[in-house]
Amino acid sequence: MVAITPNEPADLNLLDDDTFRTHIRRWIVANYPAELLNPPKRLHWNENKPWYFKLAEKGWLCPGWPRQFGGLGLSPAKQIIFTEEIERHGCARTNDHGIVMVGPLLINHGTPEQQQEFLPKILSGEHVWCQGYSEPNAGSDLAALRTEAVLDGDTYIVNGQKTWTTLAMDANWCFLLVRTDKAAKKQEGISFLLVDMATPGITVKPIINLEYHDEFCEVFFDNVRVPARNLVGTPNRGWDMAKALLSFERIYLGSPRLSAYAFARLRQLAERMGVWEDAAFQETYGRLRLDLEDLKSLYGSFVDKLRRGETLGPDVSMLKIFQTELFQRITDTMLEIAGENAGLLEPMEGNRNLNPTGLYIQARPATIYGGSNEIQRNILSKNVLGLPG
Amino acid sequence: MSAATDDRTESIRMIRDSAGAVAPRGGDNKRVRALRFTSPGFSREVFSEMGALGWIGLAVGEDVGGAGLGLSEAVALAEEIGAGLAPEPLVPAMLSARLLAAADDRALLASLLAGEKVVLTAWQERADSLAVPGTPDAPRVFIPMAAGADTFLLPVREANRIALHALPAAGADVTIEKAMDGGSIGTLRGDLSRATRVADDVGAVLEQALDEAALATSGLMLGLMERAFEMTLGYLRTRQQFGRIIGTFQSLQHRAADLKIHIALTRAAVESAAAVLDSGATGAVRQAAVSKAKHRAAESGLLVLRQCIQLHGGIGYTDEYDVGLYLRRGMVIANQYGSATLHRRRFMALAPEDVE
Repeated sequence: MVAITPNEPADLNLLDDDTFRTHIRRWIVANYPAELLNPPKRLHWNENKPWYFKLAEKGWLCPGWPRQFGGLGLSPAKQIIFTEEIERHGCARTNDHGIVMVGPLLINHGTPEQQQEFLPKILSGEHVWCQGYSEPNAGSDLAALRTEAVLDGDTYIVNGQKTWTTLAMDANWCFLLVRTDKAAKKQEGISFLLVDMATPGITVKPIINLEYHDEFCEVFFDNVRVPARNLVGTPNRGWDMAKALLSFERIYLGSPRLSAYAFARLRQLAERMGVWEDAAFQETYGRLRLDLEDLKSLYGSFVDKLRRGETLGPDVSMLKIFQTELFQRITDTMLEIAGENAGLLEPMEGNRNLNPTGLYIQARPATIYGGSNEIQRNILSKNVLGLPG
Repeated sequence: MSAATDDRTESIRMIRDSAGAVAPRGGDNKRVRALRFTSPGFSREVFSEMGALGWIGLAVGEDVGGAGLGLSEAVALAEEIGAGLAPEPLVPAMLSARLLAAADDRALLASLLAGEKVVLTAWQERADSLAVPGTPDAPRVFIPMAAGADTFLLPVREANRIALHALPAAGADVTIEKAMDGGSIGTLRGDLSRATRVADDVGAVLEQALDEAALATSGLMLGLMERAFEMTLGYLRTRQQFGRIIGTFQSLQHRAADLKIHIALTRAAVESAAAVLDSGATGAVRQAAVSKAKHRAAESGLLVLRQCIQLHGGIGYTDEYDVGLYLRRGMVIANQYGSATLHRRRFMALAPEDVE
């Protein structure tokens, strides 16, 4: 065991798990801005950047990146503890596409020049990234995307439209899936491009969602000129790279944290509404509780695989499905016991912990984004159960 | 991964492999079918073999002749036994072995561990209960496979303790009812004057052993679910209607995906509970882990098994087709050692909530 010294050890992997956890937890508690605890909505860059910069300054922004690229190079087991502590404290999700998507993409597939150009600017917060994947006619069927990039000398000319681009208005760079070969099979003509959002021809339009929030955007590309050196990996091989990046998303979306957060609010609401002791409520509550506990066990079994250094297979879709549907069932119950408060726009009595309608609305897209639950069931049935196509 | 974890993984793998001797995965169910509604409804030879393989004493200490393994091994074994539909009363025998390990009479323990004697514990006085009142003259109910017992163990309350008596089955007043899966369920009106006292106080051990039996039964259910679902997937991949393989229909694919999630939840609940017990947890933590597993197994178990019938259509409703055997067994074990409701209530009473 390594003694805790006032100074950070050179390699946090050398700490034993408990010491590491305590070390992380203490620092989060001391440094996380109190006003950002468990935010009811996805925060914008101007709201969450103080936290982003705190992490960056500490050198903890990219726990999973190798050390030579400026990350912490944490082992899978240590990364899991790190994430658990971030979630436990109720930290807001940052504008993290650069950290979780672009970083791993460039580390695995980028040229040394791309790595040197982009990775330091993610670490410094100079570049904030958004993800240009979905299109109006390529949602669940993402490989049907039509935004095209045509090579003109050393420049790609990009035309088309992306949608559901999370926090695009905050981003100054976008990693974009584009069609570079229209003749090939739909999965085989797609490439990855890195695009400066300040390039002429890009228009960002926020979409107001059912939360009355502008988390998502439409992004239009009108003859946008992108240097060919900003293509990542091999031309027309973007789909395989994109698929590999999605496994992060599926375990992230399967984490019990949203359900656990809503479940704790359910109890507070039940007490406030005077139904806590009600037998019918207790029956429902008990079932939800055990569903949550079993979700934690199932999540734990996937986390154990990561800890052992295994790659997760398509069966991780089970987590996404169960977590998001449990989150919805919990918020359904909240709405049911809330009485006429079920029609309120704002939290009850100005209390953020009594916010049945906010959570109910927030739970709706969970079964749609990250590959709708119907698509996840298709994946399970074909790739896990081996049922015919 | 630590050496200890490696060893554990290896011992679980070996247990699973050895189970194939008695309950071959994917084997035919001729033996199982032939034993239905016979007396005693299981094979004494196979029971002996289970003893010889060390299964009855799997979780009993090596100092008294057991294998000294843990619950992680026990649930893995139970899963194989469930998948193979073996009707022998292994879980009740393991429960008796735990009690006898705490008793003075080592001869009875030895013959049970060897599979020579079928020793069943008559602890239960009412339906859906884990309580052991130990009322001396109360009929003891729901004894699985009672028709094959050589000896019954009777817990009897004496002031603050639960003494254990051994009663020869020959000549005992036992009423046998047929079970849904072709086995038997017995009611014993025990005459203590014919019994031998074998231990002064098994109260604490019995409470633990009942929880272990509940967890092992969850393992049995997991095996039933896995195997019935495997058969169902096979059917979905081959059966044709409307000129198409029915497994291509999305409504059936999505239902199969949901059943797979229920199986995965059950496995996670059962295996994590076994790990909690093997880590030496006691009291409320131990009981809550067991209740969480048994609740999931009973609830998701029956859901999966009846959906397997539905996905087979009419053929699934015939006695001739094997998928029904799994539902029948599932109905017998679903509420053994506590129903989903019992365990949900117990979990809620025991488990502190994380404060978010």
